[in-house]
Amino acid sequence: MNRFRGLLLVAILVVLSVVVLTVSEFNILGFSRGGDSVLGLTLGLDLEGGTHLVYRVVPEDGREPTQDDMEGVRNIIDKRVNEFGVSEAKVQLLGGGAGTVPDRVLVQIPGQIGAAITLNFGSDAVSAQTLEDFFHDNLERPDAEVKQNENLSLTVQLDEIRAEVVDTDGTVLTPSEADAWREAVIDWFPVALQVGYVLPEIVPPAEGDDTAVDSEPEETLPTLEEVQAAFASVDRSDAEIDQIEAAAGLFSILLKGVDTSTTDDEGNPILGEDQRILNALREIGTIQFVSNQGALTQWTLGGGVQEAKNLIGKTAQLEFRYRECGDLLPPSNDIPWPPDGLSDEEWINARCTDPAYFTESATEIDAADLDDAFPDVSGGAIPRPIVTLIFNDDGGDAFFDVTDRVARQGDRLAIYLDGEELVAPSAQAGISGGRAIIEGGSFTSEGVRTIAIQLRSGALPVGLDLIQERNVDAVLGKESLKRSLIAGGIGLVMLLMFMIAYYKIPGLVASIALVAYTIMLLAIFKMIPVTLTLSGAAAVILSLGFAVDANVLIAERTKEELRSGRSLLAAITAGFDRAWPSIRDGNFSTIIVALVLFWFGDRFSTSVMQGFALTLAIGVLLSMFTAFFASRLLLRLFATSAIGNNLHLFVPVRDRGQQDQQGESSVGGNA
Amino acid sequence: MDFIGKRRIFLNASLLLVALSAIVLVSPGLNLGIDFTSGSTVTFRFESSDPGTAGVKAALDRADHPEAIIQAMGDNQYFVRTDDLGNSGLDAITDEVAKLDGVPATVLDTSTVGSSVAQDTVRNAVIAVLVAVVFVMMYIMYAFRTVPSSYKYAIAAIIALGHDVLIVLGVFTLLGIAINAEVNAIFIVGILTVIGYSVNDTIVIFDRIRENVTLAPSREFRSTVNLSITESVTRSLGTSLTTMTVILAMLLFGGASLRDFLIVLLSGVIVGTYSSIFIAAQVLVLWERRALLPWRRAAVSP
Repeated sequence: MNRFRGLLLVAILVVLSVVVLTVSEFNILGFSRGGDSVLGLTLGLDLEGGTHLVYRVVPEDGREPTQDDMEGVRNIIDKRVNEFGVSEAKVQLLGGGAGTVPDRVLVQIPGQIGAAITLNFGSDAVSAQTLEDFFHDNLERPDAEVKQNENLSLTVQLDEIRAEVVDTDGTVLTPSEADAWREAVIDWFPVALQVGYVLPEIVPPAEGDDTAVDSEPEETLPTLEEVQAAFASVDRSDAEIDQIEAAAGLFSILLKGVDTSTTDDEGNPILGEDQRILNALREIGTIQFVSNQGALTQWTLGGGVQEAKNLIGKTAQLEFRYRECGDLLPPSNDIPWPPDGLSDEEWINARCTDPAYFTESATEIDAADLDDAFPDVSGGAIPRPIVTLIFNDDGGDAFFDVTDRVARQGDRLAIYLDGEELVAPSAQAGISGGRAIIEGGSFTSEGVRTIAIQLRSGALPVGLDLIQERNVDAVLGKESLKRSLIAGGIGLVMLLMFMIAYYKIPGLVASIALVAYTIMLLAIFKMIPVTLTLSGAAAVILSLGFAVDANVLIAERTKEELRSGRSLLAAITAGFDRAWPSIRDGNFSTIIVALVLFWFGDRFSTSVMQGFALTLAIGVLLSMFTAFFASRLLLRLFATSAIGNNLHLFVPVRDRGQQDQQGESSVGGNA
Repeated sequence: MDFIGKRRIFLNASLLLVALSAIVLVSPGLNLGIDFTSGSTVTFRFESSDPGTAGVKAALDRADHPEAIIQAMGDNQYFVRTDDLGNSGLDAITDEVAKLDGVPATVLDTSTVGSSVAQDTVRNAVIAVLVAVVFVMMYIMYAFRTVPSSYKYAIAAIIALGHDVLIVLGVFTLLGIAINAEVNAIFIVGILTVIGYSVNDTIVIFDRIRENVTLAPSREFRSTVNLSITESVTRSLGTSLTTMTVILAMLLFGGASLRDFLIVLLSGVIVGTYSSIFIAAQVLVLWERRALLPWRRAAVSP
């Protein structure tokens, strides 16, 4: 039936929506949606829990921030947040509205608000459950949750970690809890070490040389005592050492943790304890193999609002460093060169790019002396994207000195932002005049733009003032989400019951339409995706009200048309036509309100407005769609079926008495 | 039913309500939350025992926050509002509060708003609402261009809207006194929802008037309006009853965090429905009789 084609369309959409909602997570041709939340919907911070930070961007020289400043800041914060390991964080510029430069940055870090420690025992020697029990029972942290990551490392999620307490002089009064735990974990989970010694390989005697044949090997396999002494020499006489097989030189050693940290308390590099042990073991014999199980190889502290705030709020640091590349020619004739078996071609590249081969030192170039940096194109037959740098006089002089040395020695000038290498160009000659370009074979126009923005943002430091902060506990978020969902569900059921009881068939139609509406709305939220917040939920209630209103209007108008003596089908058609202008005008004015709010939304230091506006606009548009395609056509479908002969089923309860009398003639007309 | 004939009662009742709302809005005024005044809020939950409001207050006094306002939320939960805590203030408070219970109380949420943000929020909220109102008026004038003086419909709708918003603000002021309800960002959303509902509800009645005016242009305007109201009153009640069902269900079964917001919606739906019938349409009639302003009414009324 042609005129029910619209109904079929709605039915298909509803089925599709159900599929979209039931498949919790999908990924088709790189288009992925969903996740492990309720129905795979994207939940806002107020429902999921998380941290909401708003920074005002204040350039340190007191001027207004420019669009480039803001993009630079966003870029930097994006990077810092990623370093912090929060991949789902959202960094958004907020500002004075259309046509003006934003002046605030909103950072939203969803989910876990507490702190997390990622640690790795180098194997699966310690299970997640064991470690969790350890945190619960021995460290008295019942809030700890441990999960195993794909690379076998373990992540301990905690509500909070008390940071170290430092007095005004910088003396540590109470060490951070995490440091104490690290010691405890190292002490608690022993490292099982196995060492196998062999006799040193005897060089086969050259042919004709018979002197070596008689000589006895002077070395013997190390004894238990020697191994014990070796451990004692590195202050680890606590190691439990067993000789497994004396003849094979096999020892098993049980150590209470090995401290693998490679820096001392002041951050100076030291030889890790594992290295020192290994060196001591090497001294007493030739090692065939060493295997260890359970050594703590990684301990990374992350998470925590405070840490996030510290990390995000820093002023960007731009550094120009002199990079002394590895020697192009062998330093002396005795050493095989290039080192480590690299080919000559590989070496030309590696000597300046592999941190193992170059050394770096600070230069006289001060980031503040960089006046400007902008993307540009080179002259010549084939223009290439380049970055132009402009220094002030001081910076120009320093830049000349450095580039002159770089050019003469074949070294590099490495430029770092926040400790991360931006670019490390070489130079043909000393560059004077304070104006330089950086070019590179792999530069793209987008790439040079990014580099220029990063250079500028580092050169013109902007301060970040934390002006708003909101933390929502994930538990609270989950609780209110659950309760709101239940309450909303109860409300919806009550509404449907009311509609059916009062409006009969039109009420039933409205109910079906509303259920379809709700399913499609949620599916749209999942597909776009719309971040669902409490204010979004409010917009859903309002649009649900409008969807109900559309159905009530159609039902009431149909009733009036029936009363005026039309046949049921004609009454439904006329009733809908009469109801449509008010549905349209009422909903359009609401959409206008939503658009204005969305337009203004980014002026507020909260995403509440935009979430509300977007959800409302989608909800209202969809309610018009369901009223037009679902309610109207369903009503006609019911009217043309056998139910259509029971006219009283189409008239609200209150009007039944008068309607029954008037209805007789209508039924007659219909037949 | 003669709605127009009884308009005096309704108009006077509304005038009284609006006047009362205006008075309470001026003094004592709305209980503004930190989104508007700046400051910090913390919500605690005590896991094992309930220290009572006085206990929490004492802890905050010890933590050097005598200005703190404490509100019990039930379930051993307390909502605490203080001056701007800054970066380190929260720890001092949690330390003191932890001593009350022996175990650290769970911090459910914290929020800090600086004073510049607070000012911006107020200004932007007002601008956003005004711009929205202007655009809605323009749309109504366009949608009602087939009837004479469509601008009257636009202005009448906005008068009804102002009436609704003022009364809801008045109700919320009283809630601020009675149950310490605070004006926060979500409250603004509530007001926006009321605006959406109010305009929509008014337009449905106006649509009926538009239809009846077009059907019988020669009929006396006041009769047309009365007929239109009579014809749409069932629908208005039907819609508001169903919407209220959902809001009531959420109010009764939902969590405490949405309570204030839902009360705003509930009062907004009630007032919005009332004003569409008794204010918006009546303003049109008064205007038609050139009796909108009292001193002119005396000259024109029979």
